[in-house]
Amino acid sequence: MTRWNNNRDEIGAVSADITAETNALPAKYFTDPEVHEMEKEKVFGQYWVYAGHATHIPDAGDYFTRTIGGKQIIVTRDDDGDVRAFYNVCAHRGSKMLDDTPMTDPGSLSRITCPYHLWAYELDGSLQSTPKSFEEASLNPDLDDDAVSELDPEENGLMEVNTDAIGPLVFVNFEDEPSLSLAEQAGSMKTELEDLPLGEYEHARRYVSEVECNWKTFSGNYSECDHCQANHQDWVRGLELMDSELEVNDYHWVLHYKHKEDVDDEMRIHPEHEAKFYYFWPNFTVNMYGTADGYGTYIIDPIDEGRFQLIADYYFRDADLSEEEEKFVQTSRQLQEEDFELVERQYEGLKSGALGQAQLGPNEHTVHKLHRLAQDAYNA
Amino acid sequence: MPDDEDAKLAEKPRAGVVTCPACDLHVSVAEPNDAVELYRRHANVTGHDVEWERVAFDAEAESDDAKEALIELGEDHPDGVALGRLAAALADNGVAIGETLDAVRDLRMSGEIYEPQDDYVLAV
Ligand code: FES
Ligand SMILES: [Fe+2]
Ligand SMILES: [Zn+2]
Repeated sequence: MTRWNNNRDEIGAVSADITAETNALPAKYFTDPEVHEMEKEKVFGQYWVYAGHATHIPDAGDYFTRTIGGKQIIVTRDDDGDVRAFYNVCAHRGSKMLDDTPMTDPGSLSRITCPYHLWAYELDGSLQSTPKSFEEASLNPDLDDDAVSELDPEENGLMEVNTDAIGPLVFVNFEDEPSLSLAEQAGSMKTELEDLPLGEYEHARRYVSEVECNWKTFSGNYSECDHCQANHQDWVRGLELMDSELEVNDYHWVLHYKHKEDVDDEMRIHPEHEAKFYYFWPNFTVNMYGTADGYGTYIIDPIDEGRFQLIADYYFRDADLSEEEEKFVQTSRQLQEEDFELVERQYEGLKSGALGQAQLGPNEHTVHKLHRLAQDAYNA
Repeated sequence: MPDDEDAKLAEKPRAGVVTCPACDLHVSVAEPNDAVELYRRHANVTGHDVEWERVAFDAEAESDDAKEALIELGEDHPDGVALGRLAAALADNGVAIGETLDAVRDLRMSGEIYEPQDDYVLAV
């Protein structure tokens, strides 16, 4: 049952049972600035979150930066060839060290040097060197040089962030000791994606859009297809929506969309004859349309409670796209724009404050999962 | 606030539209400086340069030199010229937002301008 903000309807927790009365996340969790602040820790600080694609940093010292839940990190490859992540924060006095560097235009360095007082770090985060003024006390009349102790490289190194990967997809976790491993959080998605040659594909396009709604509003839209018939007419023409299935797992769900006409094997990266969209809590998707030999990823990146950036990346065998691949990207872009209109419109309604708690339909079980996970995260 | 007058013009202030042609991005911004914030946000994840597509507030300067234009705009905005306003005035004279921000940084680092509040500047 819908709950209005009319002082009569009672808003409840998101029920475990989708057929119960209060089955949706209360509307305030989409519109309240304090919730946005809380999510930085409770959502983006507690789970494995996608950081980027390792193929952009093939060599030692290649790096890109990301800001996740307000935390700025450097993702780099160390001298042993392992991908590692560190806070972009100097161990001396906390300066931000490297300028923002997108994955699609990565940087390269042999060590990480802070511009402020030139402390330098190895690619494994350990302190490599400091200027002489940190080794002797010549400016300090009260201190003998002998009293200055040497800085231990490990104890004065950078603060590392946990990383793990699914194929070339790199995830980070800000907990000191993650309560879930990436394998546990990703479940069958990890094994399924690792069976695919994701790393053999080249990054071809990145489109970044800004959308005026809460990030979870878009996540919910991505996760259901009750809106497709009315709003994605071009796309659904080729689909057999009734044969499709929305599969829900612990922290991810998979949308299986069947095509009306079977598609050639060369036109898919994955073996199943269908389009396959993975949503991975909290804010990452892997999109396989089943009509092109390639895949896409989305990062649904909050700006504030009322805006997010959609960072859409496309990967193909060759970064030089064929006409058909261009068309694939265009179809995807068209779907995005159609969805942006829907979610901005929905958000305008939500912001008006009338709705206290929505109600989800029986085929919105994926959205229900999303709302349950958000609630679990807030309560944790 | 320097932009009160513009805000009065419409219930829902709209300073204009910015675009990234590479991303097919078109975003309407409420305040001139929202364009600058968006420029930075977008560049941080793409390296692309966002540009003004439409400017719906008053931003005119004769000069295409950042300092000259700032002096002109400073006459009407003695509390500080929003970087977005300066960028809009210069865009009209063929200077990209990114070039304006670089020029402002150079001017600031050489002590020729100051920042009475965040992202508002005036010539010294
Ligand atoms: S804060 Fe980085 S070297 Fe001083
Ligand atoms: Fe959609
Ligand atoms: Zn762009």
